[in-house]
Amino acid sequence: MTALVRSELRKITSTRLWWALLIGALLFSAIQSVANALVAGMEAGPGTPAMAGLGTSEAVRAVYPSAMFTGTYIFALVLGITGMTGEYRYQTVTATFLVSPRRSRVVVAKLLAHAAMGVLYGLAGLVVVLVAGGVTMTIRGYGFGLGADRLWATMGLAVLAVAIWAVLGIGVGTLIRNQVAAVVTGVAITFLVEPLVTYLLAAADLDSLVRWLPSNASSALMSPGNTLLEYLDWWVGGLVLLCYGVVLAALGVLISVRRDVS
Amino acid sequence: MSGTGSQVDVVGLTKMFGSLRAVDDLTFSVRPGAVTGFLGPNGSGKTTTLRCILGLLRPTSGSTTIGGLRYHDLPDPVGTVGASLEASGFHPGRSARAHLQVMALGARIDPARVDQMLAQVGLTEVGDKRVGGYSLGMRQRLALAAALLGDPGVLLLDEPANGLDPAGIAWLRGFLRALASEGRTVLISSHVLSEVQQTVDEVVLLARGRLVRQGRLEDLDTGPREVLVRTPEPEKLRDALAAAALTVLGVDGSGRLRVTGGTPEVVGHVAFEAGVELHELAAETSRLESVFLELTEGDRG
Repeated sequence: MTALVRSELRKITSTRLWWALLIGALLFSAIQSVANALVAGMEAGPGTPAMAGLGTSEAVRAVYPSAMFTGTYIFALVLGITGMTGEYRYQTVTATFLVSPRRSRVVVAKLLAHAAMGVLYGLAGLVVVLVAGGVTMTIRGYGFGLGADRLWATMGLAVLAVAIWAVLGIGVGTLIRNQVAAVVTGVAITFLVEPLVTYLLAAADLDSLVRWLPSNASSALMSPGNTLLEYLDWWVGGLVLLCYGVVLAALGVLISVRRDVS
Repeated sequence: MSGTGSQVDVVGLTKMFGSLRAVDDLTFSVRPGAVTGFLGPNGSGKTTTLRCILGLLRPTSGSTTIGGLRYHDLPDPVGTVGASLEASGFHPGRSARAHLQVMALGARIDPARVDQMLAQVGLTEVGDKRVGGYSLGMRQRLALAAALLGDPGVLLLDEPANGLDPAGIAWLRGFLRALASEGRTVLISSHVLSEVQQTVDEVVLLARGRLVRQGRLEDLDTGPREVLVRTPEPEKLRDALAAAALTVLGVDGSGRLRVTGGTPEVVGHVAFEAGVELHELAAETSRLESVFLELTEGDRG
């Protein structure tokens, strides 16, 4: 398995997509971080309470781990999806399955390799938000705020969350072989379908179901102790998210990966 | 495993794609120590058969084994069988070296083999360039390097001469002959007989998914030379040829006769003497060539 994981990592790093996606992730993370640092403490509008001020731990967590996650997870998802579908698109799947005729092992190796890439994305993103957000907060006169409550734990969980989104991408790509269809489906579900379902379920007073959706499970993992919504416990949220990825990949192995390669 | 090849056995192989019978109850063996040509027109099921042997397609029925084992059950697949299937199985954004590195890492092959293989197929200088910019011939060389990476005893190469220039084909010929003389099993497919005729020892001839012939090239390729002649008056020509002591092996619907016992000059002269109009008079072909021609012609409908 180690050999297959190393092979998968070489696959990822030997084309340019991974760093194009990484640059996108870093850019979005930086923008999100600076934006969060700028709006902190602002009045959201007449009658609504002000956002947490920069002096608070909540604001610092928004500027660092939350901003990194928001800017990065979708790129990790796309990396995962293309990591699987690219094999079919360029027919490299032939060489892959010749090296490892046991196809489910290939999928497991991809899950592990992309989780590792997700960790790398998350760590790189943290460096960027620490600089971009930290400088912005310092300019506003609050300093880097590195002593904020639960900051480092939340940063660790944010990295973990990004890694799981990459795993989720492999799951989606394993189930849907067509690259464009898989990317569109993955992004559409995350940005359109899920918010809509969340809204509809909330409107139907089914809040207890809402928290099991991937994005909300992800938010639960990211924001332990968040009382705004009734999220799952952070570790339950993480497991739920991981299950989405693994179950999709397992379904993909059963339905799609076993099919003929011609 | 290296150096000594295993026998490849295909037994009663049938592969259906929906209602299309791509391979139909095919049985043949490929022995070590020889180059075997896997011949047939386009669409005759060669690639499908190779993909079944390699476990990429699931046979509808029948079995394929390498040294008695299914590909799936080989303990060291890349070290046992080397395959090149099509020149398009590369990521255009990945370099040749990286493509081989990916395989070497996955199959636990010494990374030094990557550079050796690039050198062996003459890609050292372009090895770090992205495959997207490669010519078809360069892709063929890379496919061959990938097949050889694990130093396998069995080589299954799909149309390896396709896209190579004459010098490349000559190089490939010598290379494959050397591999077979080391005791390896070498199977190369082609839809162009002349491309492989000088390379192969044995022939497996396929048409519409069925085995037409299998045997040593010399056994299939001996016998009387044939002349192909086409005329609007086949009956008249047949009588004239018979009178001149030539043998007509067959006449097809388009007025084409297969004749033995004489050169094209003799056949042409007989036709001229008999006042028969000729539309075509083809040079001598071997029996194998004429069988192959019939298959390809029939394939065009």
